[in-house]
Amino acid sequence: MAEAHTAPDAPALELDRIRRSFGNVLAVDDVSIDVAKGEFVTLLGPSGSGKTSTLRLIGGFEELESGAIKINGARIDHLPAYQRDTATIFQSGALFPHKTVAENIAYGLRMRGIPKAEMPARIKRSLEMVRLGGYEERYPSQLSGGQKQRVALARSMVVQPTILLFDEPLSALDLSLRLQLRSEIRRLHDEIGFSAIYVTHDQGEAMAMSSRVAVMNKGRIEQIDRPDRIFHAPANEFVHTFIGESCCLPIRLADGKAADLAGAPLALRLREDQADGDWRLYLRPARLKLGAQAVQTENRLAARIHFIEFLGDFHRYHLKAGALEFFADQPGDLGHSIGTEIDVGWQSADMRLYR
Amino acid sequence: MMQQPAEADALFDAARRRVKRRERLTPWLMMAPALAIIIVFFGLPTLYMARMSFNLHPDQRLYVPGFTLEHYLSLLTDPLFTGALWTTIKLAFVSSIFTVLIGYAFALLVWLQPAKWRFAFIALALCPLLISEISIIFGWWMFFPKNGLLSYALLSTGVIEDKISLMYTEFAAFVGLIYVTLPFCFFILLSIFDGIDKRMLEASADLGAAPFRTAWEVLLPLTRTGILVAFAQSFIWSMGTYATPSALGPDTLWTVGYMIQEQMLGKHNWPKAAAFSMVLAVGVAIVMMFIRSLMWKRTSFHA
Repeated sequence: MAEAHTAPDAPALELDRIRRSFGNVLAVDDVSIDVAKGEFVTLLGPSGSGKTSTLRLIGGFEELESGAIKINGARIDHLPAYQRDTATIFQSGALFPHKTVAENIAYGLRMRGIPKAEMPARIKRSLEMVRLGGYEERYPSQLSGGQKQRVALARSMVVQPTILLFDEPLSALDLSLRLQLRSEIRRLHDEIGFSAIYVTHDQGEAMAMSSRVAVMNKGRIEQIDRPDRIFHAPANEFVHTFIGESCCLPIRLADGKAADLAGAPLALRLREDQADGDWRLYLRPARLKLGAQAVQTENRLAARIHFIEFLGDFHRYHLKAGALEFFADQPGDLGHSIGTEIDVGWQSADMRLYR
Repeated sequence: MMQQPAEADALFDAARRRVKRRERLTPWLMMAPALAIIIVFFGLPTLYMARMSFNLHPDQRLYVPGFTLEHYLSLLTDPLFTGALWTTIKLAFVSSIFTVLIGYAFALLVWLQPAKWRFAFIALALCPLLISEISIIFGWWMFFPKNGLLSYALLSTGVIEDKISLMYTEFAAFVGLIYVTLPFCFFILLSIFDGIDKRMLEASADLGAAPFRTAWEVLLPLTRTGILVAFAQSFIWSMGTYATPSALGPDTLWTVGYMIQEQMLGKHNWPKAAAFSMVLAVGVAIVMMFIRSLMWKRTSFHA
């Protein structure tokens, strides 16, 4: 293999226009990503967006149709899974139930021909890393869900692969455990600096852990950027609606004047070069001001309170303004009752138009 | 005042004893229906048979009540009977090994198939179970003889020059036995495979194990109990069966099942037939216990 030399300054992982279809569904469509050494890249998307398929192509569990996958600059897409320098943390953990925790962790070391004498120390160190020191002799059935995923993490990290592949490892756990483990994965990444691809449909996870997030939809990457840029500067309507919550207001522009679809005029301060036609206006519910707070905003509507939901940290006011329906999140109870007329306002920077 | 706590303790102890007694009784009560069926339809006949095996057989009468060990002694000393015992064990052992090998490969293939093919394979495996053993034997009679299907097929493909007959050979007896036990073996193993997370195979490959290592280190240990159960059922079945081997095998292929039948119906010697049956039943029980001891101590890996 002439091209199989590794370059020291090459990215840990390069995906070059990879493609894979199942039947007539294009699961992974022309995806290209570079993961630099030490970078933590998350593939975020709804189910069926191709993120898990992408991960399985890298791990070698699915065959590539076209494109190239390189690790440290050398092509690996022709290699079977067992010859690739990757290690996957599966959603189910996939621990070997007939082996103890120590035997599970030793498995990858044995396959790589690590001398027996080195093993106990490496196993011990990897278990301490995931805070499970002393669990060597337990069987997976004796562990809780969170502990199993820690062992799966230790089993993958101990072989020190060029890139770690996370396949929704926390999605089967309950919320508090998910939050705890995600900050531990973040801590381990900060300490060790491994390179990783992390697949999830949970944007909180993606935001909290990633160096960069790739938002996927229908097999394609819609946007790949830092988490804050993804949130504040979404590249398109899909990314805007998928990340965070938003309300959609259908509006019509004519001669630079806005109106709802029933024709009632709206006092919006829009950029002057906005073309005429039907548009979808998006607002973040947490950025909306109600009542007295709305006075100083650039855009204002008079709305009626349709109903109110108490959601713990905030109250969600469902509002109607003519033909428009949307909702606003407020930290406290404003003391208004259903049916009350109320002013709603927002800054122009907080709204986005798509069509 | 001093008495009261002691009295309360006594009451409490009595109540606790009552609860304990009820707790001890519960499993027995729950087992009672099944236990009753086993005792009436299996335990009592077996006891009756055990008693029969010690009766006398001095003349043409079926049996004469009495007590003798001569039937058991003749089983151990008469080469005709010891030979039959060894033939049966050999036949059962070899055919069970092949049954498990073929069944394992077939179940593994079906397990790895996409779900859409699964139903077709399962329907195929069910087919032999719908046909009686006697009909299947008639089928083999069309298949193995000189003018049978096998002979013609081999001749027309040029594998052989002259017609051959495999009828009444040990090979035919093995094939017939394997055919009978295979469907059960297949379903036992498939149910075991279905309990395994396929991601386990991917995890093994992911950590650097070539397919053969994965089979040896992951698949085989996880299916060990299934292999032993499948072997046990096919072994028990082929130890007891007599129609298939005696209809397809050579005239000299005397199995224990055939001997029992001959003593019972041909020679009207009920005590000897009973003694032979007891040896068979006890022998199978010993093999079962041995196989059970090879299984994992932990019955399940799943919490």
